[in-house]
Amino acid sequence: MAEQELVTIEINGIELQVPKGEMIIESAKRIGVDIPFFCYHPRLGKEQAANCRMCLVEAGTKQPDGSVRMMPKPQTSCTLPASQGMVIFTDTVAIQKARRGILEFLLINHPLDCPICDRGGECPLQNNTLFYGPAVSRFVEEKRHLPKAFPISDYVVLDRERCIHCARCTRFSQEISGDAQLDFLKRGADTMVSTFYDTEFTSRFSGNTIELCPVGALTSRVYRFRARPWDMKSQKSICTRCSNGCNIWLDYRPNRLVRVLGRENEAVNEEWTCDKGKFGHEYVNSDRRLLSPLIRKDGRFVTASWVEAYQLIASRIRQAVEQHGAKSVGAIGGAHLSNEEAYLLQKLMRVAVGTNNIDHRLERIQLPLADNPLLKRLGVPYAQNAIADIEKAKSVFILGSELVDEQPIVFLRARKAWYRRGAKVLIAYPEVTETELRFEEPLVLRYREGTEATLVNGLLHLLLASGKAVTDRLPSEEFQALQESVRSYTPQQVAEVTGISEQHLQEAIEWLGEGTVILCGNKVRNHPDHAGLVHLLVNLTILTGNAARDNGGLNILLPEVNSHGAADMGVLPDGLPGHATIGDAEARRRIERMWEVGLPWEPGLNTHAMLEAAARGQMQVLYIVGEDVAQKYHDPELAQRALENAGFVVVQDLFLTETAQYADVVLPAASVAEKEGTFTNTEGRVQRFWKAFNSPSPEVKPDLNIFAELAVYLGKPIPVFSAEQVMEEIAKVVPAYASCCYEVLPAEGCRVVQNEARLRLTPAAEGAAVL
Amino acid sequence: MAELKVLFKDIDVPGIQTLEVYEQHGGYSALRKALGMTRQQVIDEVKASGLRGRGGAGFPAWIKWNGIPKDESQPHYVQCNADEGEPGTFKDRELMMRHPHQLIEGIIIAGYATLSKVGYIYIRGEYTEPARVMRRAIDEAYRAGYLGKNILGSGVDFDLYIHMGAGSYECGEESAMMSSIMGERGQPRLKFPHAPLPTIAGLWNCPTLINNVETLSCVPAIIRNGGAWYASMGTEKSTGTKIFSVSGHVNKPGNYEVEMGTPLMELLELAGGVKGKLKAVIPGGSSVPILPAEKCDVNLDYESLQAAGTMLGSGGFMVLNDTVCIVRFMRRTAAFYAHESCGKCTPCREGTRWMVKIFDRILAGGGRMEDIDLLLDICDQIDGRSYCALGDAAAWPIRASIKHYRHEYEYFIKHGHSMVEAQRYSAAV
Repeated sequence: MAEQELVTIEINGIELQVPKGEMIIESAKRIGVDIPFFCYHPRLGKEQAANCRMCLVEAGTKQPDGSVRMMPKPQTSCTLPASQGMVIFTDTVAIQKARRGILEFLLINHPLDCPICDRGGECPLQNNTLFYGPAVSRFVEEKRHLPKAFPISDYVVLDRERCIHCARCTRFSQEISGDAQLDFLKRGADTMVSTFYDTEFTSRFSGNTIELCPVGALTSRVYRFRARPWDMKSQKSICTRCSNGCNIWLDYRPNRLVRVLGRENEAVNEEWTCDKGKFGHEYVNSDRRLLSPLIRKDGRFVTASWVEAYQLIASRIRQAVEQHGAKSVGAIGGAHLSNEEAYLLQKLMRVAVGTNNIDHRLERIQLPLADNPLLKRLGVPYAQNAIADIEKAKSVFILGSELVDEQPIVFLRARKAWYRRGAKVLIAYPEVTETELRFEEPLVLRYREGTEATLVNGLLHLLLASGKAVTDRLPSEEFQALQESVRSYTPQQVAEVTGISEQHLQEAIEWLGEGTVILCGNKVRNHPDHAGLVHLLVNLTILTGNAARDNGGLNILLPEVNSHGAADMGVLPDGLPGHATIGDAEARRRIERMWEVGLPWEPGLNTHAMLEAAARGQMQVLYIVGEDVAQKYHDPELAQRALENAGFVVVQDLFLTETAQYADVVLPAASVAEKEGTFTNTEGRVQRFWKAFNSPSPEVKPDLNIFAELAVYLGKPIPVFSAEQVMEEIAKVVPAYASCCYEVLPAEGCRVVQNEARLRLTPAAEGAAVL
Repeated sequence: MAELKVLFKDIDVPGIQTLEVYEQHGGYSALRKALGMTRQQVIDEVKASGLRGRGGAGFPAWIKWNGIPKDESQPHYVQCNADEGEPGTFKDRELMMRHPHQLIEGIIIAGYATLSKVGYIYIRGEYTEPARVMRRAIDEAYRAGYLGKNILGSGVDFDLYIHMGAGSYECGEESAMMSSIMGERGQPRLKFPHAPLPTIAGLWNCPTLINNVETLSCVPAIIRNGGAWYASMGTEKSTGTKIFSVSGHVNKPGNYEVEMGTPLMELLELAGGVKGKLKAVIPGGSSVPILPAEKCDVNLDYESLQAAGTMLGSGGFMVLNDTVCIVRFMRRTAAFYAHESCGKCTPCREGTRWMVKIFDRILAGGGRMEDIDLLLDICDQIDGRSYCALGDAAAWPIRASIKHYRHEYEYFIKHGHSMVEAQRYSAAV
């Protein structure tokens, strides 16, 4: 990037250098000069800003003769770009008067109900009035009256009397989330924020408007009247509702979560949260949480002590191993565990039980590790691009994903790429998606369900025909084989099979090239021939010149909070920590040396195989950790048969889930707010979360402790004192995690995937079979 | 001195609205002449004329024309401001109703000079008849080849569209008008130095020339007779003629075109003299400061009026006689601006409504002496702090009225009724 041009400006007599065009309000921050504001927000566009008029400053320019020519009117510093020789005064008598005036204006119609307002105590209007405002109002007329506490959705309440019309919420909904559900009605002093004819505010990001609101006009129905800001403590955490890994604050009163706020992390969520994340952590406080271990006696659950539970589990596992071999014991789960816990779970199974029957995947794709096309050919397990780099893409190809629902924060980056940087967006999905409505004129490729591979082959065909393909560094025989394999995928043929018009296919090719980020979701992960389809996508990535690129490449987005971490930690039947295959003798010996034990060398059963074995009655012990298999498995009928026919089922969870109904022993686990550790998000970023408060009962334990204690009962103790200590071990065992020890893990997290593509093309044999 | 008719020269010719009659009176000869000149020559002619924007601000027209980039890497637009919303102003209405082709010719010449291929006439929503006349005239001009592709075989293309407003005063503000034309909420946009000038990034972020109906209507005569001819009229800095929409307490209200620099009292004479005793004049539309009778010995040009503490504005010349109660008059003015505030910025949204509430209280007999200074202070807090000039426009007239007629306010507050009305009542009794 070109060096940024600096200009010299002067603020309150202090000379400083700032990037040309930087807004003065930002420049002032550099020297600690406080300029009050309401409507300004660095992530919202300036086109609609400067309406609160709070950030007025006096501005002038130095003339060649050294004199200063002041502008006749005060200027809004939030939209005033810095230019050479600019002279700014932020605290003159005139400006002080102007600020008092603005605050008086804002307050004449603002109800003084601070004592019952949720924003009270953390309200910019309160704070600015305290520091800059007049002590007394001269307004003696009647204030504006509008309906108070008007619910506009299940989550958000609108108080129009409190609104100061800063337009932050409306700008957010237009610029960031893109649903444009909030706008102003009427004009002048009658202006009011509203949804379209007071319809429901259904935005998936509505919670952000509550945080953006500089007064208590938009408040949370979940948090409303539950606490005052000064009553709460905050702890840094990571959202667990999807794999994006948003940074959040957990605000809590003693042992009770009261609200979730977005926490800034430029690399991940900037400062946004989706509504699932912001309002979806209520389960932590639920009355239905498990409060002690349960053992099934005569068909009914009976409260038991941990000792009883451990002894029972240990004896059943020992019995199973002795009578049926270690292969008759299996564990499912890990995608909801922290890295430390996932690591300990697989170590428990491999070392204390002696089996490789362990898997964290519930979706259709349960490939052998060695077959992961991304890992083999692009050098990354799932995601090539960092979330933050998506916004630098020239085009974004969203394939088989309702992105706004599946990966809300990745969606916001994709939208930012289009809205702020003009990237082209291509969306391929069998049905109309909400995602495509959030972009203006995206190229929509509406294919028939199940024809993803044909579509990609067709794109490869056209790409090769267009001469745009980047082929110079590829072995020619592979290239020829590829050409041969896609020869039959002519546009006519592909149009017929997929239902996408030839014209749209041609247009798509125009937008695919260097800087194309491919985001794949649910339809790709659950494709019957997942591996074949991903091979084709890798071909597309290589041929568009995006292998090993930062602002372009292939990304398979993951379903759960720690899907990535569980795989990294070796919660795989054929994978050891660090994506080492069981068959890789050298890697296995390395880990055996570290753990000082012998490891089972035969690959274990994946989730599907374990469930099938259990359904056949071949599974003596099934240990299910934090997964509601009976409900969430892609084949729930199989899962239920498996649970019925398994010899002994242990379920470790927060709630008595449907799966737990089949259990012989249920172990109560701690929620994310009650423990610490790290998660690895969909882009492979390891991020730490901290314990906020204690579990609802002393009988509820973090999974980490449960695994460690169970190991003791199994006679193979794994001494563990803390998550930090486990991470230190992980850092030694998994090379990519070497820099993830708590002491050195940066605040914004650490991305553990190295992008080292091997430029190999694979002819589309597997994909072709899907036709 | 009598009227000096440039814009209104042919306005009384029967049928001048039709292309045929307009052409008989030299219509579109200026366009033919302009097409034979280089674009820069056209701009230079406008520069030589000294023509200043007639919308209210009086900004030299040629600077805008010359500020449009001289390359065609982007589309350029001409935006004609026909959203004549300023109370007391009705000159553009007459120019469109009775002389539409003059305006169209001016817009086409402006389009040629600024390399624009598209023009918009933004007509206020209430002006349905002028819009119909303009529509007919535009259709005629298309048929005659003055509009559309390859105008008069010159290779120049120009399309002209009418965009109707929806009843917002604010949309007469040039940047709010751009928002409105682009289909956005009619609110102002950031201005220089916060954003590029419209001549660089206007409509759809492309160079846009924005001029008032009267300004553009001057162009054909300037091109036909030369800039120097136009500059020979008026004063040195305020050249040419100006149409004043004289209304209020005069015997012959109407539009009068006079040379710039004409004494104010002469315009009153032209309009048939004042009905009753002159109390004050508002020379440039309701937003300019009021001029009491004793200060009316002033010439009508930008500089003289500014020196007298008011402005030429849009030429909405309102005459008040001694039956007018200034407090009531200002309450109406304040209510207008409160009603028309777009609500975007704090001072204008809140301040204008507050002032109306204070006026209402005074009129209802609940005034307090400190309300006068409170009104003045509110005016200070709005003036210069608002997003666009609407806030300033709401503050100026009230401030000036208190400056010149404070005693009327004091009387009203003290007695709970109007001084003027009390005097009239006692005179009648």
